[in-house]
Formats: sequence, C-alpha cells, structure tokens
Amino acid sequence: MKHFLYLNWQSARQALVKILRQPFGSLLTLLMLSIALALPLSLYLTVSSIQEWAGRLTATPQITLFMEQSAEEADLAAVSSTLTKHPRIQSYSFVGKKQALSDLEKRNGLPGLSDGLTDNPLPDAFVVTPKTLEPHELEMLQKELSGLPMVETAQFDARWAKRLYGMVEMGKQLTWFLGAALGIALVLVTHNAVRMQILARRDEIEVAKLIGAPDSFIRRPFMYHAMWQGLLAGLAAWGLTSWLVITANPAIHEFAQLYNEAVQLRGLSPVELLVVLAISALLAMLGARLASDHHLRQIQPR
Amino acid sequence: MQRMIQFDQVTKRYPGGNEALKNLSFTIDTGEMAFLAGHSGAGKSTLLKLVAGIERASSGSVIVSGQNLSKLRSSQIPYVRQHIGMVFQDHKLLFDRSVFDNVMLPLDIIGFDRRDAARRVRAALDKVGLLSKEKSMPIRLSGGEQQRLCIARAVVHRPSLLLADEPSANLDRAYALDIMELFKSFHQVGVTVVISAHDETLMEDYGRRIIRLKEGQFAA
Ligand SMILES: Nc1ncnc2c1ncn2[C@@H]1O[C@H](COP(=O)(O)OP(=O)(O)OP(=O)(O)O)[C@@H](O)[C@H]1O
Ligand SMILES: [Mg+2]
Repeated sequence: MKHFLYLNWQSARQALVKILRQPFGSLLTLLMLSIALALPLSLYLTVSSIQEWAGRLTATPQITLFMEQSAEEADLAAVSSTLTKHPRIQSYSFVGKKQALSDLEKRNGLPGLSDGLTDNPLPDAFVVTPKTLEPHELEMLQKELSGLPMVETAQFDARWAKRLYGMVEMGKQLTWFLGAALGIALVLVTHNAVRMQILARRDEIEVAKLIGAPDSFIRRPFMYHAMWQGLLAGLAAWGLTSWLVITANPAIHEFAQLYNEAVQLRGLSPVELLVVLAISALLAMLGARLASDHHLRQIQPR
Repeated sequence: MQRMIQFDQVTKRYPGGNEALKNLSFTIDTGEMAFLAGHSGAGKSTLLKLVAGIERASSGSVIVSGQNLSKLRSSQIPYVRQHIGMVFQDHKLLFDRSVFDNVMLPLDIIGFDRRDAARRVRAALDKVGLLSKEKSMPIRLSGGEQQRLCIARAVVHRPSLLLADEPSANLDRAYALDIMELFKSFHQVGVTVVISAHDETLMEDYGRRIIRLKEGQFAA
C-alpha cells in the first residue's frame, strides 16, 4: 500500500514536472481552461454580491400603516394588539401625528410650520418590521395589514423588491447554466488534450502494453497530468476573478455611493476556492479518463 | 514435470483468412530450453505471440503456467505478460529514451522500488555487455547492440519464461553464439527458454528439443 502510494506520488510529480518543463505547450490549454472557469465564477461572484447587498436591503423591509384621520385611541389600540399577536411580524413602532409633524419640521428645517396649520394633516402611523424577506409573502402581509379596520393604506414597495429578487434568481440560474456548459467544455478540452498526447505517444504505449503494462499504468501519467492541469486552471481562474474584483471594486464603490449604498464585489472564500479547485481537477480527470478509456483500447500491439 | 506451455489443437487464423497455425498440440516443460525452427512465414512469431497473449487463438486452447489464455479477460493479460520476458523480432525499443530507461520500463510497470531497480538495470546491462552505454540513445547502437539491449529488457524483471524471436538474426556467427550462451545461462538458473530461428545450424550444437514448423504445422 505504501509502495502503491509512493508510485502514485512519483507519477504525480513527474506529470507536474512535465507541465512545468513545456510551459508553452500546456499554456494554451491552461488558458482555455482557466477562462472557461473564470466566466461562470465571475458571474457567480457578481450575483452573490448583489444578493448579499439585496439581502441587507430587504433585511429590514418595512411596511408603513397609515391610519385614517378619524382613527381614535381605541382603533389604534386594536391595531396595536393585532400587530403584537401577528406571527409574521417581528416588531413595530408607533409614530403619532404630532411626532410625525415635528419630525417633518426638523428634517426640512421649517420650524414653526405647524403654527400656520390649524389642523395636523399627518396621519398616525405604524412602522412594521416583518419576519419574512420573501417578496411574495411580504406582499401578502401588506394586503392583510391594509385590510385592518381604520387603516387607510399599507405601503411597501413590493414591486421593486420583487424585481430585484427575480433578477438575482435569474442570475443564479444563468450561473448554473454557464457553469454546467463550461464544465462540459472543460471535460471536452482535457479529453482532446489527452487524446492528442495518447496519439503522440502511441509507440511508447504499444511497447509498454507488449511488456505487460496494464491500462492503469498507462493511464496514470495522463490522469495526473489532467489533475494538475485542472488545479492550475482553477488557480488561474481564481487569479483572474480576483483581479476582476480588485479592479472593478473602486468603480462600483464610487457608483454605489451616489445612491448612498455600500455595494462591493466579493472575492472567493477559502472554502469556495477549494471547491472550485476540486471540481476543476475532477472534471479534467474525467475528461482524461474518458479519452484514455476510449483510445487505449484502440491501441492493440501486434 | 510441470508444464510451462501447453497448446491443445491450436489454430490461428489472421483476419483475411490466412491460417498461420493449423491444429497444433505440444507442451514445453517448466525449466526446459527449446528451439523453434522454420522458414520465413512458417508461423514462429505467431506461436510466440500466442504464448505471450499478444494474439489470441482462433480455436483450441493456449495454457501458460496453468492459465488458459483463451479464457482470460483481456484486462488480465498484462499480468501474465509481467512473468514473461520477450525478445521481439523487431526489437520494439523506445528511441526517445536512453538505454538505461529502456531497460527500466519493465521494472516501472511491475512497480519496483526505484533504487533497487537501478541496480537491477545495471546488472542486466552488464550481462549483455552494454553497461558502458547506459546513457546512450538506442539509435546510436549497432544492430547487434540493439538486439542485446532488447534481451536486457526482457530479463531485467527476472521472468520465469523467456521467449526470444530470432534473437540472433542479422548477427555474425560469433555474436550469435554469444547470445545463445547468454540464454543458456538463464536456462541454467531455472528459466524456461524458447528461442526461434530460421537457421538451424546454431541450434543443433545444443542438443535441445527443436520444434520444426512448416506452413503452420509440424514439419516431418
Ligand atoms: N498480422 C498479420 N495479419 C495477417 N497475416 C499475418 C500477420 N502476421 C503474420 N501473418 C501471416 O502468418 C504467417 C506466419 O507468420 P509469422 O510471422 O508467424 O512467420 P515467422 O515464422 O515468424 O516468419 P519470419 O521468420 O519471417 O519471422 C505468414 O504467412 C504471415 O504472412
Ligand atoms: Mg517471425
């Protein structure tokens, strides 16, 4: 067993040395592979950054209930107790008409505004923080709350949140689609690279078979070659996306600041990086395995 | 005596209908040294290829050290070959690697420890008188040297069965005798040896069994 591991380690090392020795031959394949990986990765990072930001936005989605002008203490108390008991509501606060008016005066820098008014035109209001983030549920809740007695309207910009949510969903699906398509491309590219290698080393393979090499022996260097290529391509793709994140972030930040938002493109987490490396190595090895299974069978020495 | 090779009514028909061997039955004992004689096209190479599992019998059974090759799955054939050393008529050397690396290949295949392997490779090269050329490329070797390199590769992993297909072809008599002596020395340490040649004069001096083939059958 120890010996078996030693032999595998030997092949792994030899395969890496081979790649490093002929950097130009490998470079083209490597470039293709890493771009194939970098595309879905960048999309994934973009979508998940948007989702993170959207999550922060809707983390405190609020529904504002404006009461009718004629609402009285008892009505307010009734609404207040409904809100307290409601299972979908996290918390709420009450903004009375007087407070609303003074807030308005303060904010607009118009002290004495109320002096000119005989009646306070502002309604009493409840600011409700729901438990759910899901736009559809929010909409349902808003409808339900607007139906409470003496509630004039319940305001919540559900359409906007829904659109954002939909876009994130679509982005996720696109990421999956692109990831799957380019994953297949990765398998095909290594399949082809290994096929070429097998054909180029046909004589060697024939002789090895003649003197008793099993397929596993012949396959081993190709498998390790593919594994390294997958790992290196994964690392290169990580480099490309990191570069994208670093160069794009200042511009995104500046743009987002115009809207008082802190949006940032995030990079891959260490766990995500490991997953990417593992997947790209495995896909490359799958391609190598398919190619060698197919082509080694065709090489029968005579 | 145990049998190393047993042919039972073996016929080999190549694609295209060419019958290279016709209904052959014979045995070769373990530890025996036997010769295979016959003119060009008699079927000598075909017979040896059947023993090594390089070709499969069209009918009949080929049993090598107790294993019926006709019944073996092709994925198991390599492990049979690992116990066989074969000197190929056309050498089958790898010209993109050194003499040393050519001889290393069988040991790599059976997964021999690298350091012990280097010692074994040098011992085999020494035996065929090529130790001083271990770093050369095979293309720089003479025809006879290439033949000897092929022999070194065939014996380096100490096979129990050695098959040599015309190992002394194209060599002058002195060289050919050298090579015969070499095979005899393997035979003396217990290896079963089968050597083919179309020139019988060399064989007769050894007083061993000679299997004579003619058009795929035993010659009278
Ligand atoms: N791969 C093949 N396909 C078709 N026919 C073949 C093949 N190999 C050999 N033969 C035929 O089988 C017969 C025996 O060939 P084989 O190579 O066994 O002869 P041989 O005794 O080794 O001859 P030589 O002394 O020239 O090497 C010949 O008629 C040859 O043409
Ligand atoms: Mg022949």
